[in-house]
Amino acid sequence: MRRETQNILLVLLGGALLKLALSGTYLRYVKESLQPWLVVTGGVMIVLAVVSIARDLKASREAASEGHVEHGGHVGHEGHEHGTSRSPWMLLLPVLAVFLISPPALGADTVNRSDRNAAQESKASNGFAALPSDAVVPLTISEFVTRTAWDDSGSLNDRTVRLTGFVVRKEQNTYLARLTISCCAADAAPVKTLMVGQDFTGLPNDQWVEATGKVVPGSATKDNAYVPTFTVESLTPITTPEDTYEG
Amino acid sequence: MTITGEIRGSRPRRTPPRLRVTSLEVLCVVLVVALVFQDWLVSALDAPVLRTASTVFVAVCVQALPFLVLGVLISGAIAAFVPASTLRRLLPRKTALAVPVAGVAGVALPGCECASVPVARRLMQQGVAPAVALSFLLAAPAVNPIVLVSTAVAFRDAPLMVPARFLGSLLTAVIMGWLWVRFGKAEWIAERALRRLPDNDGTSRWVVFAETARHDLVEAGGFLVLGGVFAAAFNVLVPAAWMETLGAQLVLGILVMALLAVVLALCSEADAFVAVSMSALPLLPRLVFLVVGPAVDVKLIALQAGTFGRSFAARFAPVTFVVAIASALAAGAVFL
Repeated sequence: MRRETQNILLVLLGGALLKLALSGTYLRYVKESLQPWLVVTGGVMIVLAVVSIARDLKASREAASEGHVEHGGHVGHEGHEHGTSRSPWMLLLPVLAVFLISPPALGADTVNRSDRNAAQESKASNGFAALPSDAVVPLTISEFVTRTAWDDSGSLNDRTVRLTGFVVRKEQNTYLARLTISCCAADAAPVKTLMVGQDFTGLPNDQWVEATGKVVPGSATKDNAYVPTFTVESLTPITTPEDTYEG
Repeated sequence: MTITGEIRGSRPRRTPPRLRVTSLEVLCVVLVVALVFQDWLVSALDAPVLRTASTVFVAVCVQALPFLVLGVLISGAIAAFVPASTLRRLLPRKTALAVPVAGVAGVALPGCECASVPVARRLMQQGVAPAVALSFLLAAPAVNPIVLVSTAVAFRDAPLMVPARFLGSLLTAVIMGWLWVRFGKAEWIAERALRRLPDNDGTSRWVVFAETARHDLVEAGGFLVLGGVFAAAFNVLVPAAWMETLGAQLVLGILVMALLAVVLALCSEADAFVAVSMSALPLLPRLVFLVVGPAVDVKLIALQAGTFGRSFAARFAPVTFVVAIASALAAGAVFL
Protein backbone atom coordinates (compact mmCIF):
# COMPACT_ATOMS: atom_id res chain seq x y z
CA MET A 1 0.00 0.00 0.00
CA ARG A 2 1.24 3.47 -0.86
CA ARG A 3 2.12 5.97 1.83
CA GLU A 4 -0.52 8.36 0.55
CA THR A 5 -3.24 5.76 0.99
CA GLN A 6 -1.99 4.82 4.46
CA ASN A 7 -2.07 8.46 5.49
CA ILE A 8 -5.60 8.93 4.20
CA LEU A 9 -6.70 5.83 6.11
CA LEU A 10 -5.07 7.18 9.28
CA VAL A 11 -6.87 10.52 8.89
CA LEU A 12 -10.16 8.67 8.37
CA LEU A 13 -9.62 6.43 11.40
CA GLY A 14 -8.55 9.33 13.61
CA GLY A 15 -11.60 11.22 12.38
CA ALA A 16 -13.82 8.26 13.24
CA LEU A 17 -12.49 8.19 16.81
CA LEU A 18 -12.96 11.95 17.17
CA LYS A 19 -16.50 11.68 15.85
CA LEU A 20 -17.32 8.93 18.37
CA ALA A 21 -15.75 10.83 21.26
CA LEU A 22 -17.24 14.22 20.49
CA SER A 23 -20.74 13.11 19.47
CA GLY A 24 -21.18 10.92 22.55
CA THR A 25 -21.78 7.74 20.53
CA TYR A 26 -18.62 6.27 22.11
CA LEU A 27 -20.82 5.43 25.11
CA ARG A 28 -22.30 2.58 23.06
CA TYR A 29 -18.91 0.88 22.98
CA VAL A 30 -16.73 1.91 25.93
CA LYS A 31 -16.89 3.55 29.33
CA GLU A 32 -17.22 7.26 29.84
CA SER A 33 -13.72 7.52 31.31
CA LEU A 34 -12.14 6.66 27.95
CA GLN A 35 -13.41 9.82 26.23
CA PRO A 36 -10.31 12.03 26.70
CA TRP A 37 -8.09 9.17 25.55
CA LEU A 38 -10.17 8.77 22.40
CA VAL A 39 -9.79 12.48 21.62
CA VAL A 40 -6.01 12.31 22.16
CA THR A 41 -5.73 9.09 20.12
CA GLY A 42 -7.72 10.50 17.21
CA GLY A 43 -5.64 13.66 17.34
CA VAL A 44 -2.32 11.79 17.38
CA MET A 45 -3.36 9.70 14.37
CA ILE A 46 -4.30 12.77 12.35
CA VAL A 47 -1.11 14.62 13.36
CA LEU A 48 1.11 11.65 12.39
CA ALA A 49 -0.63 11.42 9.02
CA VAL A 50 -0.50 15.17 8.37
CA VAL A 51 3.21 15.36 9.27
CA SER A 52 3.91 12.57 6.83
CA ILE A 53 1.81 14.17 4.06
CA ALA A 54 3.52 17.51 4.61
CA ARG A 55 6.99 15.94 4.39
CA ASP A 56 6.06 14.12 1.19
CA LEU A 57 4.74 17.30 -0.39
CA LYS A 58 7.85 19.26 0.62
CA ALA A 59 10.15 16.55 -0.69
CA SER A 60 8.35 16.26 -4.00
CA ARG A 61 8.37 20.04 -4.44
CA GLU A 62 12.12 20.12 -3.77
CA ALA A 63 12.61 17.24 -6.16
CA ALA A 64 10.59 18.99 -8.84
CA SER A 65 12.42 22.29 -8.46
CA GLU A 66 15.88 20.77 -8.36
CA GLY A 67 15.11 18.11 -10.90
CA HIS A 68 17.55 15.66 -9.38
CA VAL A 69 16.98 12.05 -10.23
CA GLU A 70 18.37 10.83 -6.87
CA HIS A 71 15.89 13.01 -5.06
CA GLY A 72 13.09 11.25 -6.86
CA GLY A 73 14.15 8.05 -5.16
CA HIS A 74 13.91 9.73 -1.79
CA VAL A 75 10.38 10.91 -2.50
CA GLY A 76 9.24 7.55 -3.74
CA HIS A 77 9.17 6.02 -0.28
CA GLU A 78 6.10 4.07 -1.27
CA GLY A 79 8.29 1.99 -3.54
CA HIS A 80 9.74 0.13 -0.54
CA GLU A 81 6.43 -0.58 1.08
CA HIS A 82 4.64 -1.44 -2.09
CA GLY A 83 3.24 -4.95 -2.05
CA THR A 84 4.94 -5.92 1.21
CA SER A 85 1.83 -5.62 3.32
CA ARG A 86 -1.87 -5.52 2.81
CA SER A 87 -2.78 -5.40 6.51
CA PRO A 88 -3.41 -1.62 6.56
CA TRP A 89 -6.48 -2.25 4.40
CA MET A 90 -8.13 -3.66 7.52
CA LEU A 91 -8.14 -0.13 8.98
CA LEU A 92 -10.95 0.64 6.57
CA LEU A 93 -13.32 -1.71 8.42
CA PRO A 94 -13.73 0.33 11.63
CA VAL A 95 -13.91 3.52 9.54
CA LEU A 96 -16.82 2.16 7.49
CA ALA A 97 -18.43 0.67 10.59
CA VAL A 98 -18.35 3.99 12.45
CA PHE A 99 -19.31 6.34 9.62
CA LEU A 100 -21.79 4.21 7.68
CA ILE A 101 -23.24 1.59 10.00
CA SER A 102 -22.79 3.10 13.48
CA PRO A 103 -23.71 -0.10 15.38
CA PRO A 104 -26.19 0.36 18.22
CA ALA A 105 -25.51 -0.29 21.90
CA LEU A 106 -25.86 -3.93 22.95
CA GLY A 107 -29.28 -5.04 24.06
CA ALA A 108 -31.69 -7.94 24.30
CA ASP A 109 -29.73 -10.20 21.95
CA THR A 110 -26.70 -10.09 24.27
CA VAL A 111 -28.82 -10.70 27.37
CA ASN A 112 -30.39 -13.77 25.79
CA ARG A 113 -27.01 -15.25 24.89
CA SER A 114 -26.36 -16.06 28.51
CA ASP A 115 -28.22 -17.32 31.56
CA ARG A 116 -25.73 -15.55 33.75
CA ASN A 117 -26.83 -12.78 36.04
CA ALA A 118 -23.82 -10.64 36.72
CA ALA A 119 -24.77 -9.24 40.13
CA GLN A 120 -21.94 -9.91 42.54
CA GLU A 121 -22.16 -11.63 45.85
CA SER A 122 -18.87 -9.91 46.75
CA LYS A 123 -20.58 -6.52 46.64
CA ALA A 124 -22.88 -7.76 49.39
CA SER A 125 -20.08 -8.49 51.83
CA ASN A 126 -19.55 -4.81 52.60
CA GLY A 127 -23.09 -4.62 53.97
CA PHE A 128 -25.92 -2.57 52.54
CA ALA A 129 -26.50 1.12 53.16
CA ALA A 130 -29.98 2.05 54.33
CA LEU A 131 -32.34 3.02 51.49
CA PRO A 132 -33.68 6.58 51.44
CA SER A 133 -37.09 6.91 53.02
CA ASP A 134 -38.76 8.33 49.86
CA ALA A 135 -42.02 6.74 48.72
CA VAL A 136 -40.39 5.53 45.49
CA VAL A 137 -36.71 4.56 45.56
CA PRO A 138 -34.80 4.67 42.26
CA LEU A 139 -32.35 1.74 42.03
CA THR A 140 -30.03 0.31 39.42
CA ILE A 141 -30.93 -3.21 38.37
CA SER A 142 -27.56 -4.47 39.68
CA GLU A 143 -28.32 -3.15 43.13
CA PHE A 144 -31.89 -4.44 42.99
CA VAL A 145 -30.64 -7.95 42.16
CA THR A 146 -27.87 -7.86 44.76
CA ARG A 147 -30.18 -6.70 47.55
CA THR A 148 -32.83 -9.27 46.73
CA ALA A 149 -30.34 -12.09 46.62
CA TRP A 150 -28.01 -11.30 49.52
CA ASP A 151 -29.48 -8.67 51.83
CA ASP A 152 -30.70 -10.76 54.73
CA SER A 153 -32.24 -7.76 56.50
CA GLY A 154 -34.90 -7.64 53.78
CA SER A 155 -34.41 -3.92 53.16
CA LEU A 156 -36.32 -4.10 49.86
CA ASN A 157 -39.39 -5.93 51.11
CA ASP A 158 -42.58 -3.85 50.72
CA ARG A 159 -40.59 -0.91 49.33
CA THR A 160 -41.69 0.61 46.04
CA VAL A 161 -38.70 0.95 43.73
CA ARG A 162 -38.21 2.45 40.29
CA LEU A 163 -36.05 0.55 37.79
CA THR A 164 -34.89 1.70 34.36
CA GLY A 165 -33.90 -0.76 31.68
CA PHE A 166 -34.86 -2.41 28.41
CA VAL A 167 -37.33 -5.18 27.75
CA VAL A 168 -36.01 -8.66 27.02
CA ARG A 169 -38.37 -11.42 25.97
CA LYS A 170 -37.37 -15.04 26.33
CA GLU A 171 -39.84 -17.82 25.75
CA GLN A 172 -42.97 -16.84 27.75
CA ASN A 173 -41.13 -14.51 30.10
CA THR A 174 -40.56 -10.77 29.96
CA TYR A 175 -37.50 -9.38 31.74
CA LEU A 176 -36.31 -5.92 32.58
CA ALA A 177 -32.57 -5.88 31.93
CA ARG A 178 -29.43 -3.78 31.77
CA LEU A 179 -25.89 -4.63 30.68
CA THR A 180 -22.91 -3.82 32.88
CA ILE A 181 -19.54 -3.14 31.28
CA SER A 182 -16.22 -2.84 33.02
CA CYS A 183 -14.06 -1.80 30.06
CA CYS A 184 -15.81 -2.12 26.71
CA ALA A 185 -18.89 -3.75 25.20
CA ALA A 186 -16.92 -6.96 24.61
CA ASP A 187 -17.09 -7.71 28.34
CA ALA A 188 -20.77 -6.79 28.76
CA ALA A 189 -22.59 -8.89 31.35
CA PRO A 190 -26.35 -8.87 31.86
CA VAL A 191 -28.36 -8.12 34.99
CA LYS A 192 -32.07 -8.74 34.81
CA THR A 193 -35.29 -9.19 36.74
CA LEU A 194 -38.42 -11.10 35.75
CA MET A 195 -41.45 -8.81 35.39
CA VAL A 196 -44.88 -10.05 36.53
CA GLY A 197 -48.20 -8.48 37.45
CA GLN A 198 -49.21 -6.99 34.11
CA ASP A 199 -49.72 -7.95 30.49
CA PHE A 200 -46.40 -7.24 28.77
CA THR A 201 -47.23 -8.74 25.36
CA GLY A 202 -47.25 -5.35 23.64
CA LEU A 203 -43.64 -4.55 24.58
CA PRO A 204 -41.04 -5.33 21.93
CA ASN A 205 -37.46 -6.40 22.70
CA ASP A 206 -35.10 -3.50 23.45
CA GLN A 207 -37.91 -1.07 24.31
CA TRP A 208 -36.64 1.15 27.13
CA VAL A 209 -39.04 1.47 30.06
CA GLU A 210 -39.23 2.91 33.55
CA ALA A 211 -41.04 0.51 35.87
CA THR A 212 -42.15 0.96 39.46
CA GLY A 213 -43.16 -1.93 41.64
CA LYS A 214 -42.12 -4.23 44.44
CA VAL A 215 -39.85 -7.20 44.67
CA VAL A 216 -41.18 -10.67 45.51
CA PRO A 217 -39.12 -11.30 48.68
CA GLY A 218 -36.64 -14.15 48.42
CA SER A 219 -37.28 -14.66 44.70
CA ALA A 220 -33.58 -14.54 43.72
CA THR A 221 -32.07 -17.93 44.50
CA LYS A 222 -29.12 -19.94 43.31
CA ASP A 223 -31.49 -22.17 41.30
CA ASN A 224 -32.76 -19.35 39.10
CA ALA A 225 -29.29 -17.75 38.76
CA TYR A 226 -30.35 -15.00 41.20
CA VAL A 227 -32.94 -13.50 38.86
CA PRO A 228 -35.47 -11.81 41.16
CA THR A 229 -39.16 -11.43 40.40
CA PHE A 230 -40.50 -7.88 40.18
CA THR A 231 -44.21 -7.14 40.58
CA VAL A 232 -44.79 -4.19 38.29
CA GLU A 233 -47.36 -1.57 39.33
CA SER A 234 -46.77 0.97 36.59
CA LEU A 235 -44.66 0.99 33.48
CA THR A 236 -43.77 3.89 31.16
CA PRO A 237 -41.92 3.53 27.85
CA ILE A 238 -39.05 6.02 27.63
CA THR A 239 -36.52 7.02 24.98
CA THR A 240 -33.17 5.23 24.98
CA PRO A 241 -30.76 6.99 27.37
CA GLU A 242 -27.38 8.19 26.12
CA ASP A 243 -25.43 5.79 28.31
CA THR A 244 -27.26 2.49 28.21
CA TYR A 245 -24.83 0.54 30.41
CA GLU A 246 -24.60 0.25 34.16
CA GLY A 247 -21.04 0.79 35.38
CA MET B 1 21.37 18.36 -29.61
CA THR B 2 22.78 15.40 -27.74
CA ILE B 3 22.03 17.05 -24.40
CA THR B 4 18.37 17.70 -25.23
CA GLY B 5 18.13 14.16 -26.54
CA GLU B 6 19.37 12.79 -23.22
CA ILE B 7 16.92 14.85 -21.22
CA ARG B 8 14.05 13.82 -23.43
CA GLY B 9 15.18 10.25 -23.25
CA SER B 10 15.34 10.16 -19.44
CA ARG B 11 12.02 11.85 -18.82
CA PRO B 12 9.58 9.09 -19.79
CA ARG B 13 11.45 6.60 -17.61
CA ARG B 14 10.85 8.66 -14.47
CA THR B 15 7.12 9.00 -15.01
CA PRO B 16 5.91 6.10 -17.12
CA PRO B 17 2.87 7.19 -19.12
CA ARG B 18 0.98 3.90 -18.71
CA LEU B 19 -2.08 3.96 -16.49
CA ARG B 20 -1.37 2.44 -13.08
CA VAL B 21 -4.06 1.45 -10.61
CA THR B 22 -2.61 2.21 -7.20
CA SER B 23 -4.05 1.65 -3.74
CA LEU B 24 -5.17 5.28 -3.79
CA GLU B 25 -7.60 4.69 -6.65
CA VAL B 26 -8.76 1.43 -5.04
CA LEU B 27 -9.47 3.27 -1.78
CA CYS B 28 -11.52 5.92 -3.59
CA VAL B 29 -13.56 3.30 -5.42
CA VAL B 30 -14.19 1.34 -2.20
CA LEU B 31 -15.32 4.48 -0.37
CA VAL B 32 -17.67 5.52 -3.17
CA VAL B 33 -19.14 2.02 -3.46
CA ALA B 34 -19.64 1.84 0.32
CA LEU B 35 -21.40 5.22 0.31
CA VAL B 36 -23.65 4.26 -2.60
CA PHE B 37 -24.63 0.97 -0.99
CA GLN B 38 -24.86 2.34 2.57
CA ASP B 39 -28.59 1.60 2.93
CA TRP B 40 -28.12 -1.90 1.62
CA LEU B 41 -25.19 -2.44 4.04
CA VAL B 42 -27.18 -1.22 7.02
CA SER B 43 -30.17 -3.43 6.22
CA ALA B 44 -27.93 -6.43 5.55
CA LEU B 45 -26.50 -6.05 9.05
CA ASP B 46 -29.91 -5.73 10.67
CA ALA B 47 -30.07 -9.27 12.09
CA PRO B 48 -29.66 -9.24 15.91
CA VAL B 49 -26.57 -11.48 15.77
CA LEU B 50 -24.80 -9.26 13.25
CA ARG B 51 -25.75 -6.13 15.14
CA THR B 52 -24.26 -7.56 18.32
CA ALA B 53 -21.12 -8.68 16.49
CA SER B 54 -20.60 -5.31 14.81
CA THR B 55 -21.03 -3.49 18.12
CA VAL B 56 -18.48 -5.77 19.79
CA PHE B 57 -16.12 -5.29 16.84
CA VAL B 58 -16.23 -1.49 17.06
CA ALA B 59 -15.94 -1.73 20.86
CA VAL B 60 -12.79 -3.87 20.71
CA CYS B 61 -11.18 -1.50 18.19
CA VAL B 62 -12.16 1.67 20.04
CA GLN B 63 -10.98 0.24 23.36
CA ALA B 64 -7.64 -1.00 22.01
CA LEU B 65 -6.59 1.85 19.70
CA PRO B 66 -5.58 4.29 22.48
CA PHE B 67 -3.28 1.59 23.90
CA LEU B 68 -1.85 0.80 20.48
CA VAL B 69 -1.15 4.49 19.90
CA LEU B 70 0.59 4.66 23.29
CA GLY B 71 2.66 1.63 22.22
CA VAL B 72 3.71 3.08 18.86
CA LEU B 73 4.60 6.43 20.44
CA ILE B 74 6.87 4.65 22.93
CA SER B 75 8.26 2.57 20.09
CA GLY B 76 8.94 5.71 18.06
CA ALA B 77 10.56 7.38 21.04
CA ILE B 78 12.87 4.40 21.59
CA ALA B 79 13.83 4.42 17.91
CA ALA B 80 14.54 8.14 17.88
CA PHE B 81 15.94 8.95 21.29
CA VAL B 82 17.33 5.79 22.91
CA PRO B 83 20.51 4.65 21.19
CA ALA B 84 21.09 0.90 21.05
CA SER B 85 24.17 1.29 23.24
CA THR B 86 22.12 2.71 26.12
CA LEU B 87 19.77 -0.29 26.03
CA ARG B 88 22.75 -2.64 26.07
CA ARG B 89 24.18 -0.87 29.10
CA LEU B 90 20.86 -1.06 30.96
CA LEU B 91 20.43 -4.80 30.54
CA PRO B 92 22.67 -7.52 32.03
CA ARG B 93 25.08 -8.83 29.40
CA LYS B 94 24.07 -12.46 29.85
CA THR B 95 20.76 -13.05 28.06
CA ALA B 96 19.61 -15.60 30.63
CA LEU B 97 19.93 -12.92 33.32
CA ALA B 98 18.42 -10.17 31.18
CA VAL B 99 15.22 -12.20 30.66
CA PRO B 100 13.88 -11.85 34.23
CA VAL B 101 15.01 -8.21 34.31
CA ALA B 102 12.94 -7.53 31.19
CA GLY B 103 10.00 -9.37 32.72
CA VAL B 104 10.05 -7.18 35.80
CA ALA B 105 10.56 -4.10 33.60
CA GLY B 106 7.13 -4.84 32.18
CA VAL B 107 5.76 -3.19 35.32
CA ALA B 108 6.67 0.14 33.78
CA LEU B 109 4.40 -0.06 30.71
CA PRO B 110 0.89 0.69 31.93
CA GLY B 111 -1.16 -0.61 29.06
CA CYS B 112 -2.76 -3.69 27.67
CA GLU B 113 -1.27 -6.23 25.28
CA CYS B 114 -1.71 -4.09 22.17
CA ALA B 115 0.82 -1.56 23.45
CA SER B 116 3.58 -4.04 24.14
CA VAL B 117 3.88 -5.64 20.68
CA PRO B 118 5.30 -2.60 18.84
CA VAL B 119 7.55 -1.82 21.81
CA ALA B 120 8.96 -5.37 21.89
CA ARG B 121 9.68 -5.29 18.18
CA ARG B 122 11.43 -1.94 18.51
CA LEU B 123 13.60 -3.37 21.30
CA MET B 124 14.64 -6.22 18.97
CA GLN B 125 15.48 -3.75 16.20
CA GLN B 126 17.62 -1.82 18.66
CA GLY B 127 19.72 -4.90 19.24
CA VAL B 128 18.08 -6.33 22.37
CA ALA B 129 18.17 -10.13 22.28
CA PRO B 130 14.84 -11.56 21.03
CA ALA B 131 14.42 -13.69 24.18
CA VAL B 132 14.63 -10.55 26.33
CA ALA B 133 12.20 -8.59 24.15
CA LEU B 134 9.73 -11.49 24.12
CA SER B 135 9.88 -11.78 27.89
CA PHE B 136 9.00 -8.08 28.09
CA LEU B 137 6.21 -8.60 25.53
CA LEU B 138 4.55 -11.27 27.68
CA ALA B 139 5.06 -9.61 31.06
CA ALA B 140 4.10 -6.00 30.32
CA PRO B 141 0.34 -6.46 29.73
CA ALA B 142 -0.13 -8.58 32.86
CA VAL B 143 2.08 -7.26 35.64
CA ASN B 144 1.68 -3.49 35.32
CA PRO B 145 0.05 -1.56 38.19
CA ILE B 146 -3.19 -0.72 36.35
CA VAL B 147 -3.95 -4.37 35.64
CA LEU B 148 -3.05 -5.45 39.18
CA VAL B 149 -5.20 -2.72 40.74
CA SER B 150 -8.19 -3.64 38.57
CA THR B 151 -7.69 -7.28 39.56
CA ALA B 152 -7.67 -6.28 43.22
CA VAL B 153 -10.86 -4.23 42.76
CA ALA B 154 -12.62 -7.09 40.99
CA PHE B 155 -11.53 -9.79 43.43
CA ARG B 156 -12.20 -7.94 46.68
CA ASP B 157 -13.18 -11.23 48.30
CA ALA B 158 -10.10 -13.12 47.17
CA PRO B 159 -7.17 -10.69 47.44
CA LEU B 160 -4.65 -13.49 46.88
CA MET B 161 -5.67 -13.49 43.21
CA VAL B 162 -3.45 -10.40 42.77
CA PRO B 163 -0.11 -11.97 43.80
CA ALA B 164 -1.17 -15.21 42.11
CA ARG B 165 -1.77 -13.41 38.84
CA PHE B 166 1.45 -11.44 39.14
CA LEU B 167 3.50 -14.57 39.80
CA GLY B 168 1.74 -16.63 37.10
CA SER B 169 2.27 -14.00 34.42
CA LEU B 170 5.85 -13.27 35.40
CA LEU B 171 6.64 -17.00 35.38
CA THR B 172 5.10 -17.32 31.90
CA ALA B 173 7.21 -14.46 30.60
CA VAL B 174 10.48 -15.63 32.13
CA ILE B 175 10.03 -19.29 31.15
CA MET B 176 9.19 -18.32 27.57
CA GLY B 177 12.28 -16.09 27.50
CA TRP B 178 14.52 -18.92 28.71
CA LEU B 179 12.90 -21.39 26.28
CA TRP B 180 13.73 -18.97 23.48
CA VAL B 181 17.35 -18.70 24.66
CA ARG B 182 17.61 -22.50 24.60
CA PHE B 183 15.55 -23.46 21.54
CA GLY B 184 14.62 -20.29 19.66
CA LYS B 185 15.93 -19.61 16.18
CA ALA B 186 16.31 -16.10 14.82
CA GLU B 187 15.13 -17.18 11.36
CA TRP B 188 11.63 -17.84 12.73
CA ILE B 189 11.23 -14.11 13.15
CA ALA B 190 10.46 -12.27 9.94
CA GLU B 191 13.51 -10.43 8.65
CA ARG B 192 11.67 -7.10 8.57
CA ALA B 193 11.11 -7.25 12.34
CA LEU B 194 14.84 -7.52 13.05
CA ARG B 195 16.18 -5.14 10.41
CA ARG B 196 18.36 -2.63 12.23
CA LEU B 197 17.63 1.01 11.81
CA PRO B 198 20.57 3.05 10.56
CA ASP B 199 22.10 4.61 13.67
CA ASN B 200 22.07 8.17 12.45
CA ASP B 201 21.71 8.99 8.79
CA GLY B 202 21.34 12.72 9.33
CA THR B 203 17.55 12.82 9.52
CA SER B 204 16.16 14.74 12.46
CA ARG B 205 15.22 12.68 15.49
CA TRP B 206 11.69 14.06 15.46
CA VAL B 207 11.27 12.89 11.89
CA VAL B 208 12.47 9.41 12.89
CA PHE B 209 10.04 9.50 15.82
CA ALA B 210 7.03 10.50 13.71
CA GLU B 211 7.85 8.17 10.82
CA THR B 212 8.45 5.14 13.06
CA ALA B 213 5.28 5.73 15.05
CA ARG B 214 3.21 6.25 11.90
CA HIS B 215 4.59 3.16 10.21
CA ASP B 216 4.08 0.95 13.28
CA LEU B 217 0.58 2.29 13.78
CA VAL B 218 -0.52 1.56 10.22
CA GLU B 219 0.97 -1.93 10.23
CA ALA B 220 -0.08 -3.06 13.70
CA GLY B 221 -3.43 -1.27 13.48
CA GLY B 222 -4.45 -3.44 10.54
CA PHE B 223 -3.73 -6.61 12.49
CA LEU B 224 -5.44 -5.26 15.57
CA VAL B 225 -8.59 -4.75 13.49
CA LEU B 226 -8.26 -8.29 12.17
CA GLY B 227 -8.07 -9.53 15.77
CA GLY B 228 -11.15 -7.46 16.56
CA VAL B 229 -13.05 -9.24 13.79
CA PHE B 230 -12.16 -12.63 15.31
CA ALA B 231 -13.00 -11.51 18.84
CA ALA B 232 -16.41 -10.24 17.70
CA ALA B 233 -17.12 -13.46 15.81
CA PHE B 234 -16.23 -15.63 18.79
CA ASN B 235 -18.22 -13.37 21.10
CA VAL B 236 -21.43 -14.33 19.32
CA LEU B 237 -20.44 -17.86 18.26
CA VAL B 238 -19.11 -19.32 21.53
CA PRO B 239 -22.13 -20.55 23.47
CA ALA B 240 -22.27 -18.89 26.87
CA ALA B 241 -23.40 -22.24 28.27
CA TRP B 242 -19.72 -23.26 28.09
CA MET B 243 -18.96 -21.21 31.17
CA GLU B 244 -22.15 -21.82 33.02
CA THR B 245 -22.40 -25.61 33.01
CA LEU B 246 -18.80 -26.31 33.99
CA GLY B 247 -19.44 -25.97 37.68
CA ALA B 248 -16.98 -27.94 39.71
CA GLN B 249 -15.32 -30.02 36.97
CA LEU B 250 -11.84 -28.68 37.67
CA VAL B 251 -9.76 -30.09 34.80
CA LEU B 252 -12.36 -29.37 32.15
CA GLY B 253 -12.90 -25.96 33.73
CA ILE B 254 -9.21 -25.10 33.44
CA LEU B 255 -9.04 -26.12 29.78
CA VAL B 256 -12.23 -24.33 28.79
CA MET B 257 -11.27 -21.16 30.65
CA ALA B 258 -7.86 -21.19 28.95
CA LEU B 259 -9.52 -21.52 25.54
CA LEU B 260 -12.05 -18.83 26.38
CA ALA B 261 -9.22 -16.47 27.32
CA VAL B 262 -7.77 -17.02 23.84
CA VAL B 263 -10.94 -16.57 21.81
CA LEU B 264 -12.60 -13.77 23.78
CA ALA B 265 -9.48 -11.55 23.55
CA LEU B 266 -10.48 -9.29 26.42
CA CYS B 267 -8.38 -6.32 27.39
CA SER B 268 -6.12 -7.27 30.30
CA GLU B 269 -7.59 -4.41 32.30
CA ALA B 270 -11.11 -5.81 31.98
CA ASP B 271 -10.66 -9.57 32.15
CA ALA B 272 -10.62 -9.65 35.96
CA PHE B 273 -14.17 -8.26 36.03
CA VAL B 274 -15.33 -10.95 33.64
CA ALA B 275 -13.55 -13.64 35.64
CA VAL B 276 -15.09 -12.50 38.91
CA SER B 277 -18.58 -12.72 37.42
CA MET B 278 -18.11 -16.41 36.60
CA SER B 279 -18.88 -17.21 40.18
CA ALA B 280 -19.90 -20.80 39.47
CA LEU B 281 -16.26 -21.70 38.91
CA PRO B 282 -13.54 -22.27 41.53
CA LEU B 283 -10.72 -19.71 41.69
CA LEU B 284 -8.08 -21.82 39.93
CA PRO B 285 -9.71 -21.95 36.46
CA ARG B 286 -10.37 -18.23 36.74
CA LEU B 287 -6.69 -17.61 37.54
CA VAL B 288 -5.79 -19.61 34.41
CA PHE B 289 -8.13 -17.30 32.47
CA LEU B 290 -6.31 -14.23 33.81
CA VAL B 291 -2.81 -15.56 33.11
CA VAL B 292 -3.48 -16.95 29.62
CA GLY B 293 -5.49 -13.96 28.35
CA PRO B 294 -2.77 -11.28 28.32
CA ALA B 295 -0.15 -13.76 27.01
CA VAL B 296 -2.03 -15.29 24.09
CA ASP B 297 -5.36 -14.40 22.50
CA VAL B 298 -6.70 -14.07 18.94
CA LYS B 299 -6.06 -10.32 18.80
CA LEU B 300 -2.51 -10.81 20.04
CA ILE B 301 -1.83 -13.73 17.67
CA ALA B 302 -2.94 -11.54 14.75
CA LEU B 303 -0.69 -8.71 15.96
CA GLN B 304 2.29 -11.05 16.46
CA ALA B 305 1.83 -12.74 13.08
CA GLY B 306 1.80 -9.32 11.48
CA THR B 307 4.76 -7.96 13.40
CA PHE B 308 7.08 -10.95 13.69
CA GLY B 309 5.80 -13.15 10.87
CA ARG B 310 3.50 -16.14 10.63
CA SER B 311 6.23 -18.69 11.12
CA PHE B 312 7.02 -17.08 14.48
CA ALA B 313 3.40 -16.85 15.66
CA ALA B 314 2.67 -20.48 14.70
CA ARG B 315 5.37 -21.65 17.12
CA PHE B 316 5.22 -18.99 19.79
CA ALA B 317 1.46 -18.90 20.46
CA PRO B 318 0.86 -22.63 21.16
CA VAL B 319 3.93 -22.92 23.41
CA THR B 320 2.94 -19.77 25.29
CA PHE B 321 -0.54 -21.23 25.75
CA VAL B 322 0.85 -24.37 27.42
CA VAL B 323 3.44 -22.51 29.50
CA ALA B 324 0.84 -19.99 30.67
CA ILE B 325 -1.51 -22.74 31.89
CA ALA B 326 1.35 -24.46 33.73
CA SER B 327 2.54 -21.18 35.28
CA ALA B 328 -0.98 -20.31 36.40
CA LEU B 329 -1.35 -23.73 38.05
CA ALA B 330 2.01 -23.31 39.79
CA ALA B 331 1.07 -19.83 41.03
CA GLY B 332 -2.30 -21.17 42.11
CA ALA B 333 -0.63 -23.93 44.10
CA VAL B 334 1.37 -21.30 45.98
CA PHE B 335 -1.36 -18.74 46.69
CA LEU B 336 -4.82 -20.27 46.36
